[in-house]
Amino acid sequence: MFKANSQRNEELDRIGKMVLRSAAAREEDIEAAASSPFLFTRVRAAIAAEQRQQEEAGGWLSMILVARRAVPAMALVAILAALLTVWSTGPAPTGTPPQGDEEALFGMPEGVEQTVLASRGLSRDDVFNIVVDRNYEVKGK
Amino acid sequence: MDSFAESTDDVLVAAAATGDEAAFEQLFERHRRQVARIASRFFAQREQIEEIIQDSFTKAYFALNTYHGTHAASFKAWLAQITVNCCYDHLRRARRRPEQGMDDFEEGGQEFAAWLRSHPADVETKLVSRDLASKLLSRLSAEDRLVLTLLDVEGFSVAEIAEVTNWSISKVKVRAHRARAYLRRVLQRYL
Repeated sequence: MFKANSQRNEELDRIGKMVLRSAAAREEDIEAAASSPFLFTRVRAAIAAEQRQQEEAGGWLSMILVARRAVPAMALVAILAALLTVWSTGPAPTGTPPQGDEEALFGMPEGVEQTVLASRGLSRDDVFNIVVDRNYEVKGK
Repeated sequence: MDSFAESTDDVLVAAAATGDEAAFEQLFERHRRQVARIASRFFAQREQIEEIIQDSFTKAYFALNTYHGTHAASFKAWLAQITVNCCYDHLRRARRRPEQGMDDFEEGGQEFAAWLRSHPADVETKLVSRDLASKLLSRLSAEDRLVLTLLDVEGFSVAEIAEVTNWSISKVKVRAHRARAYLRRVLQRYL
């Protein structure tokens, strides 16, 4: 049986080779294709088209490269902006004299409460906490 | 172009790499038949062969800087490698398209089977229809077709195929084994 199978496979391989050879082009077609009159012109046109494509791709590539180079600078600017934002909105250090915005919070520029709070060097957050605590105590009573 | 008529391929490649079109044209004139012959093993239509010639020389032009005249055999071998790879690309592209003409083949397949049955002894003396053979082979994957054609039609060794395709020797062997088994199965349907 093994021998029969082997013979069968050999036969099929032989036919397979014949089919592969049969699929090849005829000599006339090979010669006609090779000596086609404008073939080199077509090759030249294909080369020119490819070069144009590469140049266009190169243009985009150079833009991407420039953008890539700008990434660290942009990141640095973004970090600096973030730091500045955090620093400017952060709580003012305690013990500093009240500033103009605190005056706006206190309302009247002159007065007993204003004078007392300002003399203790309370920040806006401290005042806010005091007001909230006071309201809580009033409600508790 | 005549000034290059006596020049060697390596001299022409060096000149063409610097943009000398006449040198490249001389290379084209010398080797276009060889490229057409390789393409003809995979494609039967004249238009397809012309397309392979065009693609192969275009690719070769842009790869000239990678050819240093130290290639194992010659510019001819280097160009053959590019051409085989071009054929492989075209076979793959053809496979990606919806199968063309398989219905025709189913009809023709019966004719093919009848012919095989009636002429079992002198199967090699008869020419199978080229068109039918092409359609039958379109059932093979691009890799299988490439390996079988290079082995059985071009007479390449496994090592040569490995060099041309940049595959490992074991991959070529496995691929050849599978391709042969698959082709047998396809043929068996008609015998």
